Amino acid sequence: MEPLEGGVRAGSGAFADYRLEGRFFDELFGADGSPRPACRLLGEALGRVPPDELARIQESVHRRFLHEGITFTVLGKDEVSERIIPIDCVPRIVASAEWQEVEEGIRQRMRAINLFLRDIYHEGRSLRDGVVPAELVLGCPQYRVEMRGVRVPHDVYVAVGGTDVVRSDGEFAVLEDNVRVPSGVSYMLACRAATKRALPELYREHRVREVSEYPERLYSTLASLGSGDESPRVAILTPGRYNSAYYEHAFLAGEMGVDLVEGRDLVMHNATVYARMADGLRRIDVIYRRIDDDYADPVTFRESSVLGAAGLFHAYRAGNVVLANAPGTGVADDKSVYAFMPDIIRYFLHEEPILANVETHLCRDPDGLAFTLDNLPDLVVKEVGGSGGYGMLVGPESTARERSAFAERLRGDPGNFISQPVLPLSRAACFVDGCVQPRHVDLRPFTLHGSREQHVVPGGLCRVALSKGSLVVNSSQGGGCKDLWVLAA
Amino acid sequence: MLARTAADLYWMGRYLERTEQTALLLRHQLSGLPDTPADELALGWRCIYRTLGQIAPDAPLSADEAEVFLVADAYTLAGTLIEDHTNPDSLISCWRMARENATQLRPQLPLDVWTTLNQGYLWLAECDFPGAWSAGPTGLVSEAIGRLRLLAGVVESSMARDDAWRFLELGRFVERLQHQTTLLSNWEKVGRRGAPGIQLQWADLLRVCAAYELYCRRHTMTVRGREAMNFMLRDPEAPRSLSFVVRSLEALLTGIDPLASRHPLAPPHRMVLRLAATLEAGAGAPLETDETGVETDRAEGELLKRLAADGAALHDLIISAYVAYPIAKGLPR
Repeated sequence: MEPLEGGVRAGSGAFADYRLEGRFFDELFGADGSPRPACRLLGEALGRVPPDELARIQESVHRRFLHEGITFTVLGKDEVSERIIPIDCVPRIVASAEWQEVEEGIRQRMRAINLFLRDIYHEGRSLRDGVVPAELVLGCPQYRVEMRGVRVPHDVYVAVGGTDVVRSDGEFAVLEDNVRVPSGVSYMLACRAATKRALPELYREHRVREVSEYPERLYSTLASLGSGDESPRVAILTPGRYNSAYYEHAFLAGEMGVDLVEGRDLVMHNATVYARMADGLRRIDVIYRRIDDDYADPVTFRESSVLGAAGLFHAYRAGNVVLANAPGTGVADDKSVYAFMPDIIRYFLHEEPILANVETHLCRDPDGLAFTLDNLPDLVVKEVGGSGGYGMLVGPESTARERSAFAERLRGDPGNFISQPVLPLSRAACFVDGCVQPRHVDLRPFTLHGSREQHVVPGGLCRVALSKGSLVVNSSQGGGCKDLWVLAA
Repeated sequence: MLARTAADLYWMGRYLERTEQTALLLRHQLSGLPDTPADELALGWRCIYRTLGQIAPDAPLSADEAEVFLVADAYTLAGTLIEDHTNPDSLISCWRMARENATQLRPQLPLDVWTTLNQGYLWLAECDFPGAWSAGPTGLVSEAIGRLRLLAGVVESSMARDDAWRFLELGRFVERLQHQTTLLSNWEKVGRRGAPGIQLQWADLLRVCAAYELYCRRHTMTVRGREAMNFMLRDPEAPRSLSFVVRSLEALLTGIDPLASRHPLAPPHRMVLRLAATLEAGAGAPLETDETGVETDRAEGELLKRLAADGAALHDLIISAYVAYPIAKGLPR
């Protein structure tokens, strides 16, 4: 793409269908309709390239995803289907200074989360001091009593984190912490590879920070958690190919050159984990588990699980294998506990949170429940342990009957829900229906936390609600993704 | 390498080979539609179906019936073996199974291998079979063969010669061993059941096995049944001869299990050596005359039976040696 001489403006020329709306922050254009400084080159290029050329570029990135099988799995009632992630070819750009705030905020948050997790499974000071209600933590389904007193290598409970960040009113805020088995990093890398190939000149002009070293950093992070062996044997534990993120598990294993094991490949002997290789059993030292606690070990957790490995937790407690992330981290991404994250940061780090939380009402509190019931049409109501956009109510898009049914669920089990206002997610330029239009986006940057260093990937999975007006970005609910370009300083 | 991964590679190799074998048989059969006598074509369908382990269509009783059978059913018979998802031996089913295995193998496979396999599958899955048939029955199958050979080339040029490649090739050659044994046996048996003067041509067998040109160079253009059979059993250079297959298996197993490793001469390796000895020992047996007065090679018939049994046993030995071995046997010493 070559830059366009002169200015471009939202609502005119190639951007005739690009209507700015004051209530939504636009990532490409400022309020005056001209491109933001960091997006000037992109705006000019989009203004210059004919729609049929953009359509060709869009087709090329789509075909790349199709041929390389960059998919996610959807489990239906009767069948399992494999879907290509819809990708939009227009990158979203974040300026260096803006990113610095996001990066520092996430770094701060992850440090606090690790301290919080250590505390709740050992001394419990934060619970005694009332930072978070003890009954909320101890009653959380993700609290693993088996982890009490267990020594976690280097006190790193969360080695891999994903933080959902949204921008509304121009300010970044954290919508969710994902510290169990965050997924999406492979799509981030796939988006980057496809977009870089489709827009090579534009990419070069922008001096974009690289994300391709992620697998190498992930491997170093996992290896650093091993027990001093210079080259510990690392494996990824997957629930199997019917898991929605199986592509990602396979991708990461391939990139890191480690084994992708399922529970049935693992054998426990003398509280040590072995993988069944073609030439005999071989010890595994570090397991990057992409399987929920519940399913990881039928002896310790859910008895009916056929996905995990019996005795895995016993080997973990014995210190013979490292699990990343540690069991029991789900407490920290419970949506009720989320509401207390600013207090957790202040308590453990003695710092003010860099990134704000989204206003959250806990339905376990009578006031929170009353507020939620009174304002259902204007709120998003979520299950505290839910993910993927399932089990939630989006008030403005719901019918009276749906709200009535949901109100019943709320009254029946208020502790299982929180509510938040419908966020005016920012919008980024997308190529949809033959022209450039704004669509709502969010962002999931990834963090790696090893024994010695913490690394926030300069980029992330940028999810986009491709339907006009939709605020739901989850891939399982029809959302797509696009590349995120974090510019170098 | 994980035992499960070895099994997936092995099965991926088997399914890819099975897909190509079916396509080769179909291409030959479909290319004969315009000018081959109807009853000979009918025999061809029977041979294909039997070789693939399917219930063979009934043989027509007369030339007229064969003509009707040919016109009405070639499309159906071919469709069953190409696009029928419910038939586990159809091209689409085998390709899908190879892709299913490859999906689990993505960490082990070069991206180009996966992409070529995936593109081939998507092409076939989206193919309009009736339209392709109208454009010429062999076109679709020839395209499938081309894509399978492209994939074989990508494997050849992009995979390291490590155990991943060895298990993939092991699957391919075990499948070829079993298929070729069955094909040779059926060609001879089904061919003899035709009406007097009607039989499957041995030259066609060589063409199906991509060995016709080599045979002509070694012998003559006049293809004799016994020579052709012996050629497909023992020629050292024809890639679908049983001798070539067995030697390839031996080389692969030696690579997987070097003699100094944990299992000196593992059971699969011993079985392959036995197959090689059986092939050599059976050469040059005298012809006999059967009950109908037709000169037949009883020794080769027995040999094929033994090879078929040993080929099936070889599969079981591979799985029990490298995949489903007892845990106690696998513990580090």
